Amino acid sequence: MRRLVAILPLALGVLTVVFLLLEVLPGRPFGLEPGTGVRPGAADDLRRIFAADRPLVERYLDWLRGFLTGDLGISFAYRRPVGALISEAAGNTVTLAGLALAMQFLLGTAAGTAAAAADRKSIDRLITGTSSVLYSVPSFWLAVVLVSLVSVRLGWLPVSQMRSLDAAELGPWPRLVDVLRHLVLPCLSLALPAAAGIALYVRDEMRATLARGFIQAARARGTPRAGVVLRHGLAGVLRPVITLFGLAVPGLLGGSVVIEVLFAWPGMGRLAYQAVLSRDEPLVLGCTWVASLAVIASSLAADLLAAAVDPRVREATP
Amino acid sequence: MRGPRLRIAAGPAALVLILLLAAAAPWLAPRPPDLQEDVAGARYLAPFTRAVALQIDADHVRIGTSPRPTAGGWEYTRAGRRERVDATDLPEPPSPRFYLLGTDGLGWDLASRLLYGARHSVGIAALGALLALLLGVGVGSAAGLAGGWADALLMRGVDVLRSVPRLLVYLLCATLFRPSTVLLVLVLGATTWTELARLVRIEMLALRRSDLASAPRASGASPARILGRHLLPQIAPLLVVSAALRFADTVLLESALSLLGLGSPPPAVSLGGLIASGREALAEAWWIVAWPGALISLLVVALRSTASRLVGASDPPSLA
Repeated sequence: MRRLVAILPLALGVLTVVFLLLEVLPGRPFGLEPGTGVRPGAADDLRRIFAADRPLVERYLDWLRGFLTGDLGISFAYRRPVGALISEAAGNTVTLAGLALAMQFLLGTAAGTAAAAADRKSIDRLITGTSSVLYSVPSFWLAVVLVSLVSVRLGWLPVSQMRSLDAAELGPWPRLVDVLRHLVLPCLSLALPAAAGIALYVRDEMRATLARGFIQAARARGTPRAGVVLRHGLAGVLRPVITLFGLAVPGLLGGSVVIEVLFAWPGMGRLAYQAVLSRDEPLVLGCTWVASLAVIASSLAADLLAAAVDPRVREATP
Repeated sequence: MRGPRLRIAAGPAALVLILLLAAAAPWLAPRPPDLQEDVAGARYLAPFTRAVALQIDADHVRIGTSPRPTAGGWEYTRAGRRERVDATDLPEPPSPRFYLLGTDGLGWDLASRLLYGARHSVGIAALGALLALLLGVGVGSAAGLAGGWADALLMRGVDVLRSVPRLLVYLLCATLFRPSTVLLVLVLGATTWTELARLVRIEMLALRRSDLASAPRASGASPARILGRHLLPQIAPLLVVSAALRFADTVLLESALSLLGLGSPPPAVSLGGLIASGREALAEAWWIVAWPGALISLLVVALRSTASRLVGASDPPSLA
């Protein structure tokens, strides 16, 4: 409960920092050079219509009220409510990032466990070596290489976007397959380097766990090796992995900006990127707000999960 | 016996090699990174291409591959066609060109561009990591040593900054100011120090009650002297390891930003910029994207393995 209360000033602080960052922008909304056929006073009128001409404090208080009531304002560039734009894009980002998150943790934990529990040293070396390299490969580079190999050279998967041009005419199942085919490459680019990092971490944690006394006791009772690793070993690794989960979400959100831009995936990262390029103040604020909430929520979720699986953590934080 | 010892040295050795190559770029690069001798003749040459440069007249050079001397002249391949030139038309004999890593679509020599790009990116990442180190140590030790409301205020500020997604801060700053190298260093440094500040604060909280702090305090040393002479040396290993990991992260971030077009503007050459420039031509010239990507990965592997060597083999790699 204390953690939940502590979130409010945090969220307020984030919103204030982003608002102030935007305020020191040298340009004003609609401040671009007017093209031909534009009335001289048009920019001023637009600012008045979008209420961007009021004093700083008044706009700040208005923002805060809007964010508390769920009204995120109107996008300057799209002329549509920011909330609607974000909820469309957020769904696409959750699809991509959620799948990547699940994939990186499953793959990473499996590979790390296999490396730590391997009978032969060569398997451990192979997994650890591959992971060290993969962990250091920039995800956008992986994206570029995968697209050129799988999409351009072999033509197996689409290059970018989320749906094919004729997707609207397809039935429900072919349409789902179409989206999944578009998902494979961005998801792999996002998940593989992170999975490699998790694999290295899990391997070290698992080795430390397997060296402990209760593991040997379980072995001495005659439990088969695989059972020991899967029941006792994984239980020991669970809490550190949950802590990683909280750390992984901000990285995933940042990484998805680059990947979404590269793959033209219609998600939050690309929306924010375009909003910044077009100086779309309400949209930038809205995106930052939602992304920060996701970061705060994920670290809270990691804390609560850690307390749920480990009684020592539960007792330490009343 | 040989295996483990070799592996111990591989990370730091690769790191030192890359840093030396980057620092010595102006002396090692075979040509200036933006020398265009003959765009049509030199574009998209594969790695390990041997070619000749033929000085046609004062300001025209032809680059040709597979040259062959003929009776009274030279024959060579240029832009897919066999061409020939009479020896009498050449003021000088042909000079050899060797493109170790190939060329890009503008006829630029990639070995030279890779060296200069590494120099630029490593420099920016090192400065960014240094700035992060200074900020992290400054804020972290201030909070840890001051305690009370100052500590609470500083750490809540750190929490807020940690919750704003980094890439959005970069995006904001890139529109706020014109993209420039100085801005890039400032932004990279200013957004990556929070994790270190938390680490340093925890160490300082533990140290400030110890004899290490109370003994010099009793003898009248100033807080700055206590921090600099007595406490910071205690956490020096932690700082070195964090700096190396920060450095690795900053290399990755810098290249991602350059890829999005928010890094140093041209004519600066950066590793991410090189990847961006080869993206469109990947089908006909894989090497433009391959070299900088491989170099970034190698540098990051080397930094991380050096860091984990410093910590000791048992510590997990940081995912921060």
